[in-house]
Amino acid sequence: MLSNDPILALFADTEDENAWYRPLSTIPDIIRITAGRFLPVTLENMRGLGINPQLAVVSGALYPTVMPELIGMLKENFPGIEVLVLSSTFAPLPPIERLMADKVRHLVIEPVSPEGMRSPLLRAVNDLVHKRKWEIAKHVRKGTQIHIFQLASSADKEAVIGAVEGAVKGETAEHELLRQKGALLADEMLENAFYGAPRGADGGKIFRKGENRGLLPGEKIVFRFAFDGETLAMEMADSWGSLAPDMVMEYLARNQNSAGLPEEIGGRGLFIIWRFLDQLHVDITPGNRTVVGGHLHVSSPFPPEAPRGFHITITEKEKINGCTVTDHS
Amino acid sequence: MDAPLQIIPKRFPQYDHFALNGNIDAQAETLLKELPARVRQPQVTIDFSSSGRINSMGIALLLRCFKAIREEKQADIELAGLTPMNTMLFKMTGIFLLATPAKG
Repeated sequence: MLSNDPILALFADTEDENAWYRPLSTIPDIIRITAGRFLPVTLENMRGLGINPQLAVVSGALYPTVMPELIGMLKENFPGIEVLVLSSTFAPLPPIERLMADKVRHLVIEPVSPEGMRSPLLRAVNDLVHKRKWEIAKHVRKGTQIHIFQLASSADKEAVIGAVEGAVKGETAEHELLRQKGALLADEMLENAFYGAPRGADGGKIFRKGENRGLLPGEKIVFRFAFDGETLAMEMADSWGSLAPDMVMEYLARNQNSAGLPEEIGGRGLFIIWRFLDQLHVDITPGNRTVVGGHLHVSSPFPPEAPRGFHITITEKEKINGCTVTDHS
Repeated sequence: MDAPLQIIPKRFPQYDHFALNGNIDAQAETLLKELPARVRQPQVTIDFSSSGRINSMGIALLLRCFKAIREEKQADIELAGLTPMNTMLFKMTGIFLLATPAKG
């Protein structure tokens, strides 16, 4: 995506457009469209004029409920367009199954007034336009120490969780809650890396949850976190790359809709990570690496039951002179 | 807190009381599997005031355990000593569909 390509923003009506005016007003080269029955013609005309937006910001008030065919229409006119669905903390979560069917991999939930924090929408648009990945360092204050743990066995898990708990200093009830959330998130991320990610040739899990295990030859599990007094950011990277974007979305959808009743449901750990982070970030290099991360705050702008967003990206294996590079360090 | 689960039973005239002390995760499987068989009365209180971290595997085990208590023992389950974190987690994972938080 070139950073000077225009960005398309689509709304259900004028009221919807006005509701999002403020966060979108600082984005340059944005084309705003209120969708109506002439939308197909408008998109065709844009294509005819050589306008080629590479990113569409679509209001949750329009898609998928009001105009379920919208993504197909956008992709038909602008192949390769990236779609970001935008919703707010007080609106219901857009149905994930529909987003999955349309391969929409970016959902931003904008807090009503993201005071004291940068708008998640602006961050997401900026990252997508400039093809930047989520990084811990971008979400904590400059100079904050980033703790890095390269784990050698599942027995290291508790020490890492203890380090997260120890780093979140503060005596208020909000700090205590953040400590508990941080510990649970670290636990789930590491459980996924040790027991969810390793897959055999048949795609089945190699290890059973709870069993003690060391790393396999060439396997790497790295956990990073930082706390700057307000924001706790964390990520876990494994060297399997066995997750697929559709699988991530299916896990989220299945757990969101099941209300937990089938006890053996898959992906509950990832679902919990998603629900406790401000936004879930998953980056997959197939067969090579999965990174799961995100951040949360002492004073969260998200009410506990508000929906959460996600960004799921695929990274191609690094290639140098046409050769694939696999990092074994 | 790296403390394996311990289940401490207490019997009252009107209800059974089990305190779940420690972390509830994969290591808690055997104890939670055995818990439904220990229920004798139609009212059970599960006390979380000394419980530690409860992860997704712990949630799966609690769901299985509570379902068995309700179906095999026809008992109602009340959850006591919940922290705000427990409440959030139980709400999002459907635990409250099987067990009711204690009032006050």
